Amino acid sequence: MYPPPLQDLIDLFAGLPETERREMLINMADTAPLYAPAEGETFDLEDIRKDEECTDTVGVFLTAAADGTISYKISLGPQVQTLTRAMTSILCQGLNGSTAASILEVPADFVTKIVGTELVRVRSQTVYYVLTRMKSAAKVHLNRLRSATDS
Amino acid sequence: MSEKFAAYAHPDALVSTDWLDKNLDTPGLRIVESNEDLLLYDTGHIPGAVHIDWRRDLNDQLVRDYIGPEAFAAMCSRYGITPETTVVFYGDKSNWWSCYAMWVFHLFGHTNCRILDGGRAKWVAEARPLTRAIPEPAPVTYPVPPRRLDEEIRAFYADTLTHMKAGLPLVDVRSPGEFSGEVTHMPEYPQEGVLRGGHIPGAKSMPWAKAANPDGTFKSAEELRDLYAGTLGLKQDDNIVAYCRIGERSSHTWFVLKYLLGYQNVRNYDGSWTEWGNMVRSPIERS
Repeated sequence: MYPPPLQDLIDLFAGLPETERREMLINMADTAPLYAPAEGETFDLEDIRKDEECTDTVGVFLTAAADGTISYKISLGPQVQTLTRAMTSILCQGLNGSTAASILEVPADFVTKIVGTELVRVRSQTVYYVLTRMKSAAKVHLNRLRSATDS
Repeated sequence: MSEKFAAYAHPDALVSTDWLDKNLDTPGLRIVESNEDLLLYDTGHIPGAVHIDWRRDLNDQLVRDYIGPEAFAAMCSRYGITPETTVVFYGDKSNWWSCYAMWVFHLFGHTNCRILDGGRAKWVAEARPLTRAIPEPAPVTYPVPPRRLDEEIRAFYADTLTHMKAGLPLVDVRSPGEFSGEVTHMPEYPQEGVLRGGHIPGAKSMPWAKAANPDGTFKSAEELRDLYAGTLGLKQDDNIVAYCRIGERSSHTWFVLKYLLGYQNVRNYDGSWTEWGNMVRSPIERS
């Protein structure tokens, strides 16, 4: 159902008491810069924008490998909330190395399993936002592949 | 006291970052952080500060309402707050949620409260100390307040409807797009279940952000008077109701009107647009 690395993270968070869950989320948020694109790095697809539903600009950078898998780098503006930064790390760890098709099929219901119901609120829907953006990039990538095959 | 603070109606309702830095260990003082970013406190906070989560700590979990006197007393006791404690609130978003928390404290008669001018952003920008250590206040007993003072600083739907029909001042503190009805969410936020866009008939628009400087501090008394007395024409003895979407941005305006400008009769309609905009047969205006 979920890519194995993501399933591992879900299992890890599922067993944590609330205090440790928060601590782990903060550690994840702290590691979000590791998934930011490096200076001069090139990608197969870049999608940088500021949407109404997020507090700051988010850039999604996609690289496709010859074996059909993809990997992401994500840039986050300074106003992005801690939980969104944590989810960025989790998603990069959990989805990098999967195929675009399998990423499109990942259901969003894992978010509460990781974050816990206490922290998911109407105003923290941006925890879903990064996943939506990553799926959007995967879809564009797949469409490009199909267009190239058709032509 | 700074010249800026001295010009406000109640200068002691604010503290500066410099003052707080020098008074972190002052007995009888409790620092409270309250944020929109729910994990921000955990990433580092002002030494000695406790965290009040507006939904977990201040809202009833089963009724759209605030906690009752017993829960308020239990929360204060847990955080080492007695009726004599001076509570200094600060947080993100130019102090939206810290003003909201302060307003709830006022609902229970705890008025010995201050707001940190500039909030968390200014403290961090000035590279003042932060810690991840969670304080463990010595247990205290906060006596259960006799009642919640809803009628003094809080307006309900029926109150606001009466207020509107009487043509009394209503201040809509949401963004211009929300006020006009062009959008049903504030910029950079998800839609929060509002069915209709617009504003309460007769309300005047004064977005909360006009009262804040880019660094999160409050604007000067003169600038604030220009906005509320000048542009809106509010008079000191007016009966004023402020509202936004769920009552947090209007708490900021409530604080500005009541404590920085000295308006005597200001209430926060916490049901705000998520109630008014969705209520069956509730009149709205668009512009």
